[in-house]
Amino acid sequence: MQQDHHATVEHLFRQEYGKVVALLTHKFGTSYLEPIEDATQDSFVKAMQVWAYKSVPENPTAWLYRVASNRLIDMLRRDKKMDLQDTERLSQYSGTEQNGAPSLDATLSDSQLKMIFACCHPALSQEHQIVLSLKLIGGFSNKELAEALLKKEETVAKSFTRAKKKFREEVKMLKIPVEMGLQSRLFRVLQVIYLLFSEGYAATSGTLVIKRDICYEALRLALLMQQNTYCQHPNLEALIALMCFHASRFDARLDDNGALVTLEHQDRSKYNQELIAIGMRHLEQAGTQDRTPSKYHLEAARSYYHSTAKSFAKTDWKNILYLYELQLKLEPSPMVALHRIVAFAKIHGAEKALGELEQWEQKNNFSDQALFHAIKAELWSDLGKTKEQRTALERAIALTENELVKAHYQKKMKT
Amino acid sequence: MSNFLYLFRGGDDAFDKLSQEEKQAHMEVWGTWMGGLKEKGKLLDGLPLGKDGKVVSNKGEVVTNGPFAEGAEMVGGYLIVSAKDYDEAVEISKGCPIFDYEGSFVEVREILSMEH
Repeated sequence: MQQDHHATVEHLFRQEYGKVVALLTHKFGTSYLEPIEDATQDSFVKAMQVWAYKSVPENPTAWLYRVASNRLIDMLRRDKKMDLQDTERLSQYSGTEQNGAPSLDATLSDSQLKMIFACCHPALSQEHQIVLSLKLIGGFSNKELAEALLKKEETVAKSFTRAKKKFREEVKMLKIPVEMGLQSRLFRVLQVIYLLFSEGYAATSGTLVIKRDICYEALRLALLMQQNTYCQHPNLEALIALMCFHASRFDARLDDNGALVTLEHQDRSKYNQELIAIGMRHLEQAGTQDRTPSKYHLEAARSYYHSTAKSFAKTDWKNILYLYELQLKLEPSPMVALHRIVAFAKIHGAEKALGELEQWEQKNNFSDQALFHAIKAELWSDLGKTKEQRTALERAIALTENELVKAHYQKKMKT
Repeated sequence: MSNFLYLFRGGDDAFDKLSQEEKQAHMEVWGTWMGGLKEKGKLLDGLPLGKDGKVVSNKGEVVTNGPFAEGAEMVGGYLIVSAKDYDEAVEISKGCPIFDYEGSFVEVREILSMEH
């Protein structure tokens, strides 16, 4: 029970952290990121002291924001980092904000949105975009991030420090809201949200709760964007749909012992019907004017077929194969090509699929891809060639870094 | 429907001379204009361009600093707008806040699709 309570507090703090940092960065600017983080942390320490004796305030965000804002102004005055006149102006501003809670809500979603766009600024590398988004908006600790991204805590901390330096020096908050709707900015943010989600969804070991939280954070950010008129876009709707469909299978992906369960053996009664329904609503809204689907549309549609199929055998492989082929035409990618083979085998049989696989192998170097060998093993097994299957499985086991997946392959070796 | 590229030239010097408040106010004028286009589904993309640039010629044997054009000729940014035809694209461009500065102009070019 103690553990549960602890998790709730952690969760609350994680969310509030992102909110307070966004509000302060919105008000003071990206160049003050360091003191902003310090002031926010201080406000949390104070909250723990005060809230333990009194009850939690009705609007914890407003409370934390007020305390952090005052603390920040004190810090800046003391370090003479800001003109006295400026701090005067800002503290007056925060004075008027205290009275009206509704205005805080409006400012909050606005500043969180701007923060997303700042963290996904084109001047930052993809790695930095992900680390900044999770740390500054999601409020994840270095330890949590290290667990989720399978990196050392030290590595995450270093990466965050470097990312922050770039952020302070090169990133400005958006000046006009309509900039969010420009494809160069918007599509970048969608890509980062997609990567965040994939990072969380990847079936790796580590604390699964944290990984799910990353998925839900990605979904939360996408839904926040969807509230803004400028961000509304068919690709965003499709991205939300695909996240809902994937997330609907969360509970079925692991068995009681925490081992990976592949689609074929998942208990479909465990699929979350509510998420599937939400996903469908968003997919319906994702129509594009020129009828050209994005990769999010295609992946959402595939995931839809998997989530709604009555059984593995009744899965609509024909349409799934068609969707893979469409995606390959739009943006050729070796990974998409590999996944396509699975659907291809379901329609045309293992023998033809092996032939296709060999053709692809000549064009791409798949030899160090665990998935390539795993698919090969599956196809050999379908043909009853146990020896070839084992050779391919051994390669797959040697190549995969993912303990959960490794265990899954090892189990196959024994059968 | 086609996509059109607006190249904004000139106006930078005049903008630089504005006070911080005037700059902010002018950004809001741009925001309103672009926001209107976005709501009508006409605005696709666009970004401001950096002031510095390089001009590469002779297969890279000659690299000079700075954009080719000077002052009023310099491209300060671009937008990609969706319009029925040139007439509509030109009509839309007339509302652009860049015309608040004397001597600035917008070059409108159709972006051709390679698919047909």
